[in-house]
Amino acid sequence: MSTDQLAGADARSSMRAAVTRPGSTRTRRPRSLRARRTGAFYVFAGPWLLGFLGMTVFPLGYALWLSFTNSDGLSPNARYVGLANYREVFSDPDTLASLARTGLFAAITVPLTIAAGLFLAVLLNQPIRGRGVFRTLVYLPAVVPPVGAALTFKLIFDRDSGSANGLLDIFDVNGLAWLQDPYARWVLITLTVWGCGNVMIISLAGLQDIPAELLDAARVDGANWWQSFTRITLPLLSPVLFFQLVTQIIATLQSFLPLLIAVDPTPKGVGAVPQSNQLIMIDVFAQYFSNGRYGYASALLWVLFAFVMAVTFLVFRLSKGVVFYSVDPEQAKTKPRTIGDN
Amino acid sequence: MPVSPRGSLDRRRFLAASAGAALSAAALPGCAASVDSGSGAKGAKETLTIMDTAWTKKDKQNAERELGMNLEIVTYDITKLNAMLAGKNPPDVVRGIGATDVPYFAARGLMADLDPYFAKSDALKPSDLAPANDVWRYDHTTKKQGTGPRYGMAKDYSQDCMFWYRTDMFEAAKLELPSDTEPLSCDEWLDLGKRLVKRRLGKVKVYGLSGTPLGGPLTQVMWMAASAGGSLFAEDLATVDFSSPEALKALQWYLDYAKADIGPSVVNPNPDGWDWPTYQANRMAMATDGYWFGGTIGGDAKISEVSRFAPAPQLGSHRISPCFSGTGYWIPKEAKNKDAAWRYFEWYFASKPAQDRATSGWGIPSLNSLRSKMPRDTAFHKQSYEVQQRELDYFSVLPVSPYAQVDALNAVLTKVLPDAVKSGTSAGKIADTLNSQINEQLARGKELVG
Repeated sequence: MSTDQLAGADARSSMRAAVTRPGSTRTRRPRSLRARRTGAFYVFAGPWLLGFLGMTVFPLGYALWLSFTNSDGLSPNARYVGLANYREVFSDPDTLASLARTGLFAAITVPLTIAAGLFLAVLLNQPIRGRGVFRTLVYLPAVVPPVGAALTFKLIFDRDSGSANGLLDIFDVNGLAWLQDPYARWVLITLTVWGCGNVMIISLAGLQDIPAELLDAARVDGANWWQSFTRITLPLLSPVLFFQLVTQIIATLQSFLPLLIAVDPTPKGVGAVPQSNQLIMIDVFAQYFSNGRYGYASALLWVLFAFVMAVTFLVFRLSKGVVFYSVDPEQAKTKPRTIGDN
Repeated sequence: MPVSPRGSLDRRRFLAASAGAALSAAALPGCAASVDSGSGAKGAKETLTIMDTAWTKKDKQNAERELGMNLEIVTYDITKLNAMLAGKNPPDVVRGIGATDVPYFAARGLMADLDPYFAKSDALKPSDLAPANDVWRYDHTTKKQGTGPRYGMAKDYSQDCMFWYRTDMFEAAKLELPSDTEPLSCDEWLDLGKRLVKRRLGKVKVYGLSGTPLGGPLTQVMWMAASAGGSLFAEDLATVDFSSPEALKALQWYLDYAKADIGPSVVNPNPDGWDWPTYQANRMAMATDGYWFGGTIGGDAKISEVSRFAPAPQLGSHRISPCFSGTGYWIPKEAKNKDAAWRYFEWYFASKPAQDRATSGWGIPSLNSLRSKMPRDTAFHKQSYEVQQRELDYFSVLPVSPYAQVDALNAVLTKVLPDAVKSGTSAGKIADTLNSQINEQLARGKELVG
């Protein structure tokens, strides 16, 4: 119900009368509260919307158009090729392999990152001395720029001069080529999970939002720590964890870290990224800037976009009955609402 | 249902207006492209945009004072350059590697023809240009490098398959020093690398040989195949043939080198990206780098005392010593400020900066008249100068294809070779894979270039 409706017809007519000047033949219509609110909305949302249209919708549309051409971005003879690029995406074994590799990478790192972040959050939610210091230390890797983190990992895991092999050397153990296959993928996974501080901080905020009286009541009823955690903490934390699951999956499917830990993170060196780290975004980068195949790379990006949408949709479907939102008992009526309920 | 008051902006109109504004914003750079940014307002200094490696603040201020114009330095980034070229809003001057950049960009009509500027110039005379500047020429009729209009100029050059070595490490291994006049065979060179390497627990502590020249494994195979009397590229540069006896021999050498694990390769790339840090840290006995590398060595008294320069090895009976760089500058065809860019050329390539570079030992000057300024004051400089002078007789430029960027072709090699080396796949099979993947790329490029 709008404010106008609440105010009633009498109130509206008296407002109009108030703005009519004596002797004036014109009457100025007062702006209703709704109109003012609409105006305020556009004033605040406008800059973002303009940016969204200019920097997201327009590039997306341009990339869509490119995906139907054989353009290399520079040659004047580029032409329309229809769906040829899309057909190639689904028939190129290298591309399909990198898509599968990306899926596997997400399947390993997302649960690991969330579990590590939650574990650290639970630990750092305990009333221990120096808790603030520990929280800061655990969160620090999350504020290190990915380029800096990748560079550090490259130095640590270099075969001939890295400290990882230096440590093995102390124990007379043969050094490993960490940044090459088959070890490179584990370095990449470690680097990804190492940045779990973000997950930790959000989970910590979620944990602190759980009413202490619920946990106290469970304790009084004889529940042990594990029972309280699985029956009270986890269900109440599930919306937070679900949010992190979705955002982590999207970020991981677009991971660019393999190039950052490559020896030469440029179009020249992209071919040297170890095969086990050839994720889809590396393929996209190589096609755009090394091979100059703007058309094909744009098609790859659109396929990746569809893939991300499909995975996200699937995750939402699978979350039914697992994610619990705290709602007013009056509205909940018979059962807690889940995200899939309407 | 409440109706929006008349006169307020409804959502549809707002969205339509926003879309219009966004499209206008996108079109603005295109409109701006037609404006000569160099002219500026009356009395205002013109601004020259240069895409280059990082400049110090002091160098920039000096250059601005001497040139009487403002300089805007854009850090070199090939992805950014491609975007600027595609948007028809390129820098006025671009740093580039003549040997490998020119065929690709010139064939696509992106470089300005500098012949009219050379014809009018008093400072830069074509008769004074060292032959290495021919890497900056491209003939659109034959679609080949080396002849035709000039599209840029080298700041200096080197013969990139020559190598530097450490006398202290040779002496420690009780090995005879390589000759200053006679080139080693590639097999002898590889054998020396195997004798000089030092390992511990699976790690290479001292590299015996860093055997890949500037330009990566592709240029390595090009050089060695040419040395064996063949050619990697077909006559029209539209295909490669790794299966020819000469190219196969070159490929086999590289596989042997990578398998031996005596230096950086596609299997174990150098984390520093270039040889100097490892060479300086006493962890490399031989480094395949041209004369320019002497500029860094010369700056370290201890290292220069134990370093010497040697001719490019040869795989077969043909003694050649190619240049894969000829790094310099070019002016994009769509640059707004070509006259100012040319003034920068004259200043950078012919006046004090050029003389300073010539005396520093960082490459052979690109003007013949400056060659006499190359350093010869120490035993180290004297030895490297003499070896370099003799090597000039074998100077060559091996043309690369205009149909794909060298980086793209190297990316195929760096993708295919590591697995092949580890699995012990035969050179013949690897050659077939490389032929198929690279020729596919070249065919796509040929379709676009025409």
